[in-house]
Amino acid sequence: MNITHPSIHIAGVGIVSPLGSDVDKTLASLQANHSGIAPLRVFSVKQQPALLVGQAEISEDFATLPRTHRLAMAAAKQAMAGQDCTPDAVVVGTTTGGISRTEKLLAENSQDPTSYMYHGLTTVAEAIGKEVQCNGERLTFSTACSSGAVAISMACRMLESGKSQWVLAGGADSLCLLTYYGFHSLQLVDKQGSRPFDISREGMSVGEGAAFLLLTNKKLKHSYGVVAGYGLSCDAHHAAAPHPEGKGAENGMKLAMDRAGIKADQVDYINLHGTGTPENDLAESKAVRRLFDPPPALSSIKGLSGHGLAASGAIEAVISVLCLKHDFLPANGGCKEVDPECGIKPLASPASQPVSTILSNSFGFGGNNACLVITEKEPEIVRSQDDEVAPLSIIGKSCITGAGHTMDSLGKFFTLESMAGVLETKIVAEKLAARSIRRLKRFSQMALALAQAAKEDFGIQQAPHGVFMGSSWGALSETYDFLENLRQTDEKFPSPLDFVGSVHNSAAGQIAIRYGATGPNLTSSGGDYSFEQAVLAADGFLEKETRRNTALVIAADEYHSHLSPLLDSSVRESNFAADGGGGFYLCRKNIPGKVSVSPSFYGKSNGETLSECIVALGGREHVKNNCAMILAGIPAAQAQAGEQQLDCFMKEVDIDVPVIHYRKFIGEFGSASAVAAVMATQLIESGEIPVGKSVLLLGFGSNCTALEFVMQG
Amino acid sequence: MDELTANIKDKLIEILNLTDVTPEDIDENAQLVGGELGIDSIDVLEMVVMVEKDYGVVISNKEIGEKVFSTLKNLVEYIRSNSLTLAS
Repeated sequence: MNITHPSIHIAGVGIVSPLGSDVDKTLASLQANHSGIAPLRVFSVKQQPALLVGQAEISEDFATLPRTHRLAMAAAKQAMAGQDCTPDAVVVGTTTGGISRTEKLLAENSQDPTSYMYHGLTTVAEAIGKEVQCNGERLTFSTACSSGAVAISMACRMLESGKSQWVLAGGADSLCLLTYYGFHSLQLVDKQGSRPFDISREGMSVGEGAAFLLLTNKKLKHSYGVVAGYGLSCDAHHAAAPHPEGKGAENGMKLAMDRAGIKADQVDYINLHGTGTPENDLAESKAVRRLFDPPPALSSIKGLSGHGLAASGAIEAVISVLCLKHDFLPANGGCKEVDPECGIKPLASPASQPVSTILSNSFGFGGNNACLVITEKEPEIVRSQDDEVAPLSIIGKSCITGAGHTMDSLGKFFTLESMAGVLETKIVAEKLAARSIRRLKRFSQMALALAQAAKEDFGIQQAPHGVFMGSSWGALSETYDFLENLRQTDEKFPSPLDFVGSVHNSAAGQIAIRYGATGPNLTSSGGDYSFEQAVLAADGFLEKETRRNTALVIAADEYHSHLSPLLDSSVRESNFAADGGGGFYLCRKNIPGKVSVSPSFYGKSNGETLSECIVALGGREHVKNNCAMILAGIPAAQAQAGEQQLDCFMKEVDIDVPVIHYRKFIGEFGSASAVAAVMATQLIESGEIPVGKSVLLLGFGSNCTALEFVMQG
Repeated sequence: MDELTANIKDKLIEILNLTDVTPEDIDENAQLVGGELGIDSIDVLEMVVMVEKDYGVVISNKEIGEKVFSTLKNLVEYIRSNSLTLAS
C-alpha cells in the first residue's frame, strides 16, 4: 500500500539580517540592490583596519541573552506573529550558540559557571522553545554553513512522517571572534567585500543573522509557499574545501529536485550559495552547468548580505518566499565582471519576472550540502512512499569510556564496576593511522575511533551512506586553543587548523571522508540528549532503499580541564573528570537476530510528558509486558527532578524490573547515553535479556527521552 | 644540515603534528605540498602563520606562497633572505 506525502506549507516567516530587521526591510534592501556589508562595529578587534562584514541591527529585546539567541528570538517571533498554533517542535541550525559571550568571559578569565549557561548550541532552541511554548522536540543541528537548510529539511521529515503538525525551523548565527578571525585565518575573506562569481573575487564577508519558517503539513487558507523538496549530501572530500567539480553540490541539487518531482527546466531561479571564495563559486558553477542546460536566472545574495553561516540557508529560504510572493529576483551583488571560468550569468541587477519554483543552495565545511526546492503552489505530482517503515537494525557497535575501548568498557559494565574516567588520548587513537589523525584533537579522534570500531564490528567492507553525529559541546580543545592563541598573540595569529577543527561537524566530516559516506551528514547538539537527537535524525533520514540504508551514528564528548567544569553543570556536580562516547553502524532493514533501536519519545519534561512517553512506547500494558530492564540517564545536575520523573514512570507503568542509573558507572558527560545504548545492545545480544523483551534507555531531567532496544524475530 | 633548516624541520613536525616523521625523513628538495608528507592547503596556512610569527616573514600572496612552499629548501631560503629577526 502506498501513502502520499503531505505537502509542507509555509505558514509564517521571520528574518533578521544585514539586509534588514524584518521581511519588509529585507525586501526593500534587495529591491534597491542595497548592500549590508560594512566595516565591523559589533565588537572591537585589535587588528586594524577591521574587515568588512555583514552585521544585523537588533532590538534591545532579550538583552540578557547572547547575540545569536537574540537574533534567533527576533526572527522566530516574527514567524509566529499572528499564528494561533503552538509548534510541536523547534528545529534550529546554529554553529555559534553563545560563543560571543564565552569569548568575553574567557578573556576576563571568568570562573563563574552561571555566566557560561548560554554557551551550548542547544540553548538557542531551548530559548525559542520556551518563548513559543513548545513542549516537543527542540532540536539543534550544526553542520556549518548548511545548518539552516538542514534544520528546514529535518522539519520537513518530521512533518511528512505525521509525527508533528507544526514545526518552527530555521537558523541563526552571530558575528564573533571565532568566525571573524577563523575565516580570515583560512584566507577566505575578501578585503573588498564579498564579490561572488567575480573574476577577481577573493573570498566571503563573514556575516550574521537569523531566519525562521513556521512549517505545517496542514492545508492552509493562506500559505507563503511550499517546501517541495530537499536534498542532503556530503562531498566526503575535504575538511574545508569543496569538491573541485562540485560533485556533492550536484548531488544535493538533484536530490532536492527529485524529491520535489520536478525537472531542471522547471526551476525558474537558483538562489546560489555563492560565498565569493574562488573555490566555492567555481565548483558550484560547474555543478549548476552540468544539471541545467541552459541555467535559469540565478544569483547569490551574499555580496549584499555577507555570509550568515548557519543562518544563511534559512535566510535564503525566506528570501525565496519573498521572491515567489513578489515575482522578484535579487541581484548578484558585488560582482562587477563575471569570471568566465564559472561560465554562468548571475543577475547583474534586480529583476521582476514571474517565478514559481526556486532552488536554494547551502554548502558548508566538511562538504556538507543542503538544497531546498521552494514553490509557490503544491507540486502536481503525487509522491508516494511505502508505508511500512523498517526498523533501524544495529549491525555494529563500539564505545569508549575511561575503562578503555568497547570490550574493556563492557567488561566493567557486566561486573557493575565504574568505567568513568578520561582515557589517555594516545589509547583512544591507538588503532587509527597516525597520518589520518595528525590534525585532529581529542573529540574528533574519539569520533573517528568509534566509527572505525563500529564499522569493524560490522565486519563487511561497505561504505556507510550517512553519518549522524551527536555531541553536547563539540570540539572543546580546538575551540579553546583557537581563542587562547588569539588572546596570546593580540589577535594576530589565529590558527587555521584549530578553526577548521573547532566546528561541531568537523568530526562527522572526517568520518565521511574516511569512509566515502556521501549521504546525509548531520551533527546534532542537544546537551545531555545529543545522542538521542542523532538517533532521531538517523530515523528521519535513513531510507529503506539499498545503498541508502546504512549510516554511522556516533555520539561523543571530550573532557576539557578548563571548559568542561565551567560549561557542564553535571561535571561540576560530580567533581569527577569523565568522557567518551558510543558508535553504531545502523541499517534501515528488518534483520532477524539483530537488535533494533527505536527513538520512541523526545519531549520537554513537564506534567504531561510521562503519559505521552508511555503512550509513545505502546502504552502501559505494552511496557509492562515487554520491558525487561531500564537504563536511566539522570544528569547529576538534575538529580532531584530526574529521580522524581523516574519514580513517576515506574509507578505509572507499575513494573518491577532492574533499573540501572548508568551515569554512575559511565560518568557525567553529555554523550554517556550513547555508551549506555551500547550496553543495552550488548545485554540483548548476549542473551541476558529474555527473548522478545526490550531494554528501555530513558533520559530524564530537563527533557524526557525514550529509546527502545529489542531483538528482532 | 644547517641550523635554520634543522629548526624549520622541527617546527613543521611540531605544528603539523607529523608524529610518524623524523627530521631525516624530510627531503629538502622533495615536493613539500601535495608530496609524500601529506601536506595540503590548510597546512600551508598554518605554515604561513608560523613563518610570520617566528621569523617575521610575511607571505602575502598565493603566487609567492606557491614558490616558497614548493620545497623545504625554498622555504628556508625565503626565510633566510627576508627575515629581519635572523639578520639581527
